[in-house]
Amino acid sequence: MNFFPQEYFKKDWFGLLIVVLMSGVIISFFKPAFLSSFNLYVLMLSVSLWLVVAMSQMIIIAIGQMNLSVGAIGGLVAISFTGLMEVHGFSIPYAILTGLLIGLFCGFINGFLTVKTGISAFIITLATLYIFKGMNLGITEAQPFYQIPESIKNFGNAKIIGPVPYLIIIPIIITVMMWLLMNKTQSGRNMLAYGNSVQSSELMGISPTKVVITAHVISGFLAAIGGMLVVCRLQLGTPNIGDSWLLPSFAAPVIGGAVLAGGKVDVIATTLGVIIVAIISQALVIFKIDPFFVQILLGFMILIAVFINRYREYKEERRKKIFIYEASHE
Amino acid sequence: MFKRLPNFAVTNQFGLFLLVIFFVLFFSFFTDGFSSRFNLFALSRVVAIDIMIGLAMMVVILTGGLNLSLGALGVSAAMFGGWLMETVGIPIIPAMLLTLAMGGFLGWINGYVTVKTGVHSFIVTLATMSIYFGMMTLFTEAEAFRKLPETFTDFGSLKIFNKYVSPLLLVSIFFVFLLFYFFKFTDLGRKLIAAGANPDAAELSGISVGQMFIYCHILSGLLAAVAALMLTSRIGAAIPSMAGNLGFDWLLPAFLAPVLGGTLLSGGKVTVFGTMLGAILVTLITNGLYLIEIGEFWIRFFLGIILLLAVLLDKAREFFAQKSNVLS
Amino acid sequence: MKITISIITSIFLLFGHYAMAGSSSTKVALVPGGPHPYFAAWEQAGKDAVKDFGLGKADYKVPAEWDLSQQNELIESLVGKGYNAVLVFPGDAVGTNKILGELDDAGIPTAALAGCVEQPTKAKFCFGTDTGHSAYLGTKQLIKALNGKGKIAHFTGFLVDPNTTLRIKAVEKAVAEAGGGVEIIQVIADIDAYEPADEKINAFMAAQGGEVDGIVTTAWVPAVVAAQALTNMGDKRIKMVGIDHDEVVLKAIKDGYVHGTMLQNPYGQGYIGSYVMDKVRGGCSFKANAPWKSTAQTNQFIDSGTVFVDINDVDTYVQAMRGISLEILETFESTYLNC
Repeated sequence: MNFFPQEYFKKDWFGLLIVVLMSGVIISFFKPAFLSSFNLYVLMLSVSLWLVVAMSQMIIIAIGQMNLSVGAIGGLVAISFTGLMEVHGFSIPYAILTGLLIGLFCGFINGFLTVKTGISAFIITLATLYIFKGMNLGITEAQPFYQIPESIKNFGNAKIIGPVPYLIIIPIIITVMMWLLMNKTQSGRNMLAYGNSVQSSELMGISPTKVVITAHVISGFLAAIGGMLVVCRLQLGTPNIGDSWLLPSFAAPVIGGAVLAGGKVDVIATTLGVIIVAIISQALVIFKIDPFFVQILLGFMILIAVFINRYREYKEERRKKIFIYEASHE
Repeated sequence: MFKRLPNFAVTNQFGLFLLVIFFVLFFSFFTDGFSSRFNLFALSRVVAIDIMIGLAMMVVILTGGLNLSLGALGVSAAMFGGWLMETVGIPIIPAMLLTLAMGGFLGWINGYVTVKTGVHSFIVTLATMSIYFGMMTLFTEAEAFRKLPETFTDFGSLKIFNKYVSPLLLVSIFFVFLLFYFFKFTDLGRKLIAAGANPDAAELSGISVGQMFIYCHILSGLLAAVAALMLTSRIGAAIPSMAGNLGFDWLLPAFLAPVLGGTLLSGGKVTVFGTMLGAILVTLITNGLYLIEIGEFWIRFFLGIILLLAVLLDKAREFFAQKSNVLS
Repeated sequence: MKITISIITSIFLLFGHYAMAGSSSTKVALVPGGPHPYFAAWEQAGKDAVKDFGLGKADYKVPAEWDLSQQNELIESLVGKGYNAVLVFPGDAVGTNKILGELDDAGIPTAALAGCVEQPTKAKFCFGTDTGHSAYLGTKQLIKALNGKGKIAHFTGFLVDPNTTLRIKAVEKAVAEAGGGVEIIQVIADIDAYEPADEKINAFMAAQGGEVDGIVTTAWVPAVVAAQALTNMGDKRIKMVGIDHDEVVLKAIKDGYVHGTMLQNPYGQGYIGSYVMDKVRGGCSFKANAPWKSTAQTNQFIDSGTVFVDINDVDTYVQAMRGISLEILETFESTYLNC
């Protein structure tokens, strides 16, 4: 045990890393095909997409809020991106740029309304979820866009080396940037401080407007990237992109130890959370288990993660011998 | 009741009431068929169910929390009821009571986990939403219960008052008055409100806040089960998809009605009649949007906008109320 | 898109001579179960029916979501607005019967289109693809392509769709008839949305891709996603029989990655369905001895036709479909109706 410095054990991600490795070993023991090049490729693809979605939710969790409209933004951007190219003949860079701007704008609206009205982000993003999704359906009338340029299709399929897809580059860049943002920059620290306690962060001179809007704009931006990555992957722009994002977007950060009250998120642990969710979804197909189990399992994993996080907090509190009265609601 | 009238006139419930009247008149004049017997009957049935869904959410909002699993819970309870009536062959009344018990039990799980972990009910009910729904599909293999007793299913198509109204609406109105009485005049009801309004103070005055919150979640489960039973009776079968995937389709009406009705999201306030009026308004507007032919695909967009406007108005009203308080 | 347009125009031209003068009071609402590309052809079919048969209206009205309650709400509001005939893809095989009964009470004729409701029902008839039969034929084609030997997988749609169970059973039946040489190694259901379908089908390919010899898909989205997956993998070893006419599937057939597809006839459903509704409202009744077909759900079924298309006729399938539609339309009145 001298290999590892003691402090690794206390990190959120250490336990998760063990879980990832163990589940990998167990599954490949029963099904060697799990380690096949193609399977790893498929796994990495699914991790790539969910990573972006999870980061998009994580940054809002960091400030102690939630964003129900992540999937709706992703879907709206996906169909705008493809629709602009197919119907309005936009070139790829312009379509990407417009897609990103739509994401930024949607995020800005969420952030602006939340911070300026003081209404809970839950209600604001529930409303914008229906607004964005409604625009999506109104524009497309539920019809997919098919004319995706070859270069985008190729990007969605190509491999860099061995089983590693090109598609994973962007999520990796995003993850690194998010880690830097949350750990090395003042605005990241401000977000966490705000998430920890709105009052004390204001005393520290942190502007709530700036923090909240920044976080939502980043969230919208990432959701936009997520939507476009799905387009590369599916090779068509269908209006129901994003419909299934809600649960996984919370599952990964929560499994990664994020505290929903805000102030504590961990980029590495969230990444591992994404990998765990991806491995489990895939294992269920490999072992031919009823698809409904995916939902049940995700639900239980969230609950268990919540229990573990809570237990750790509890021990922490005892250790510090500080009695904190926790109201059973926020 | 009459002594309360002047009070009532200055509340947002009165504003809602005027809005309802306004939209009724508006749609009667400007759309084809709004006031047709068929449409009004259909409307009364939708309203009846939306009122129950709204009330089920309202009692959790009272705690400052929310219940994402509402739809999944309701459908699970209804499927349980369908199983009891069709497969087990239990008579209607006991089967309905057991369905309500199931709803209450699932609500209790939500409440228990929320209170014991101290985690926000959002994440707890997000998890239970997928657990309930997944379990339900697993047990039923996504098969509907379609041979329910006719007495039960006929109730959903029964027409009363010269065929203008569904008796389901009377059921909902009954529950509205029941809840109103409960929160206003019973000890337990008052304690629930006290616990939601100010947990610390309530705890000091000897109310077990955790216990009260669990009661709220149980009540929410019960009301959701009622809504689901009503929906089952109206559809004539217990169907896994009757509230959409994961029961998610109930969420918009669930939040719209109480929020329009003036229930504070921070908890501590219930507006039973407001929620009822909110549900009526939402159904009215949805129906009107269909009739105006803005295109079915845009309806969700407009409902989203309405929710947004509702909360913004609510905020504005709060703001001006505070301002006038300060001035006086 | 081009293909869809060409079908529509060619069918329109063909049926042109049915154009009648005058205008009836029939206002048909064509209501699918929810937004889905399969039903898109109904819109043009309705418009053409108005033009050709002189209906008052035949409008395509889509519930914003796949949800029985929303579908009911939409239908109720349409009736409130004066639509007096309803063609509906049932949101639920039994649940939809309730509202059809209520419409019947209000004197509004209805029929189930593209999918059936279970009897007893007040729907006048069910006009659609015999989905079980189509899945059966598709599986037969696949088994033929595999020379009667191999392991196959079946990808299908929403478990709550009335057709899904029929399809699963039909595939099993075809496999059983192949006599031991063919084995179903996996059925993946409930993937009628792109993202979950993509994840599950790719995970399947990763785990079993080397083992499986054939794939039969019996719902729109899984067909698209599986065709895409085979194209991406560049795999021509695995034989696949798809369903419907999505561009991705048709292109994969042309490129040789997909063996063939089972076409359905949504345009014909909407067009002929609207025509029949008008006849019924005009006082025609169904013959007591009409040659109904029977399915697992109903014994008042009319097959709107299904055709297997492979690389040889993928460019000309429009004609085949047209032939079937024309045949049904020409003989409909004399076969089924007393006017």
